[in-house]
Amino acid sequence: MDQLTDVMIAVSHPSRRAIIEQLSTGPARFLDIAGSFDTALNAVTKHLKLLERAGLIERKKQGREVMISLKAEPLHLAAQWLHHYERFWNTNMDEFQKHFKNKKEKA
Amino acid sequence: MSESSKTLEYKFERTIPAPVAEVFEAWLDPKVPGTTWNAAEKLILNPSVDGLFYWLLKGTAHYGRFTQVEKSKMLQHTWMSPNTLGQESLVTVTFQQQNDDTLMTLVHSGLPDHERARGHQNGWTYFLGLFNEQFGKGSRKKFNWDEAHAGRK
Repeated sequence: MDQLTDVMIAVSHPSRRAIIEQLSTGPARFLDIAGSFDTALNAVTKHLKLLERAGLIERKKQGREVMISLKAEPLHLAAQWLHHYERFWNTNMDEFQKHFKNKKEKA
Repeated sequence: MSESSKTLEYKFERTIPAPVAEVFEAWLDPKVPGTTWNAAEKLILNPSVDGLFYWLLKGTAHYGRFTQVEKSKMLQHTWMSPNTLGQESLVTVTFQQQNDDTLMTLVHSGLPDHERARGHQNGWTYFLGLFNEQFGKGSRKKFNWDEAHAGRK
């Protein structure tokens, strides 16, 4: 999957959005994040894995602790896609390309 | 995408399986699907330098002036619509032969940054709000004219 898809999936769940919000105030330890949820630790681990896959968080060892911090930059990929003209031109150019591909196949 | 403090620029590339002259002509043909002018309710199109265009689609008017026209090489025109907030943006389309195909590159620059917050520290929170509005089941939505222009008629 491409990074845009990974980002879309990452932010499609309210728990993961809550984690992003939490991390926007600064890095946190795994247990700090997990403590904000009533769900099992396993579920929080899965959410973090999806956020990590999308490049939205990073883990850094600080002494004996592993700190998790937000990397918000990939969200710009999704914001860019949402912009009106980004979608408009992509749709149009896809149709234009398809027109020629169909034409070539029929020839 | 590159962005200054006030405007955005988008770049798109497609490889079109046809010779450059054919692709250039097709891009200016309102009958060809995917062209800017296709499906317009009303269209005035004069693709020559300082020629104007007007196209109306579902009640939304778009205006522009051709600033460069080099046959089979490039087209450039200004672009104004409600989505540019009345500002004049610029569309540049170049066509390059690549073996039997044409590499078509479209750059839309000078677009006002609707999502100005994106460049700021908490810009992503703005995005998350947009995401909630735009996505249903996490699948990518196709551009929908009616939806994109809701409330503008």
